[in-house]
Amino acid sequence: MADAFYDNWTTQVRKGVLELAILNTLSGGPLYGYDIVRRLGDVDSLVITEGTIYPILSRLRNEEYVESYIEESSSGPPRKYYRLTPRGREELRRMNQHWQQLHEALGSLRKERKR
Amino acid sequence: MIELTPEAKTRLEQYLTRMRSALRGSRAVEAAEVEQNVREHVDVALAEASGPVNTERLEAVLAQLGPPERWLPEDEQPWWRRVASRVSSGPEDWRLAYLTFGTFALGLLLLPVGIGLVFFLCACLMARAECELLASRGETLGARRWLVLPAIWLMLLGIAAIVLVVPAMGFASLGLSDGNLQLVGGIPHAEPETLERVRIETGFVATVAGAWWLVFSLILALIVKPLRAFFLPVTEHLGRKHALLLALIGAMVGAIGAVLLFAIR
Repeated sequence: MADAFYDNWTTQVRKGVLELAILNTLSGGPLYGYDIVRRLGDVDSLVITEGTIYPILSRLRNEEYVESYIEESSSGPPRKYYRLTPRGREELRRMNQHWQQLHEALGSLRKERKR
Repeated sequence: MIELTPEAKTRLEQYLTRMRSALRGSRAVEAAEVEQNVREHVDVALAEASGPVNTERLEAVLAQLGPPERWLPEDEQPWWRRVASRVSSGPEDWRLAYLTFGTFALGLLLLPVGIGLVFFLCACLMARAECELLASRGETLGARRWLVLPAIWLMLLGIAAIVLVVPAMGFASLGLSDGNLQLVGGIPHAEPETLERVRIETGFVATVAGAWWLVFSLILALIVKPLRAFFLPVTEHLGRKHALLLALIGAMVGAIGAVLLFAIR
């Protein structure tokens, strides 16, 4: 029962932060889909099913937070790259700020309990 | 572009069909774009493979991608998929609520062929089970009331209509058949299509209905507790006062009928 609760909670948290994680991954420059998946996969327990990333990318592009373009690859067929738009960059700044506030607020709650 | 064995090619196409189906209905996500990304993902993941890629190796990549049905968050899925998902994997109390509503809707659809009544009865029993389940946990129906209560309401209203109207109409039609009115208190048989006939027939129907409702109010007073228990929570406030109210209405309707029959000639 407790495990089910914890599993459900971590799933919800993961889903909630995936957009932020994707946008942060793209803040360093354009990446193609597989590369984004690999980088996020390296963050422990962030991505359970890799396919989840692709609908989020499509949604972010529809909402004009990212844009895509095709680029030839030296090691195979052309690849679809994603990069942040100015709107996406601004949204990412706000999201990171909010995340920081949340993190600090939770930290201060923990400190208060310890006193 | 990687080369796949015919079996692996078929498997990939099956997976992509599943994916398109899972993303269908989402307004925010373009299935074609996701498909292109997935194809590219498979290509890059298996780029190192020498020779045609078999199903086993492809399966490992698809397993990492995961089942497409889980890719979209619930609020982005079309309503029918959300319902199906809740029915198949949701908490028991929500599943029962959706099943109740489904059975109820099926009952409505199949009503013209008669078997709909069986579905109504099943929906009503499931609705009661749902109410009991929640009551045992100390929970309220909340939003589930819209899924659960229509079955109980319709069953209750249907039974009430049958019990209150059918016997009264039966007695009335028996009494109104040729010649019988003359036997009942010497009421003259009126000519067809006259105001007199309308007065007598209306008066007779009202008298019979009023008398039946008076009798039934006594029965209702006796069975009010089991009736209330069966149709809870719709009948939560049903009590003997309602039997009394029915008796009063019966007396009034009966009196109006009697006035029409005997006082106005």
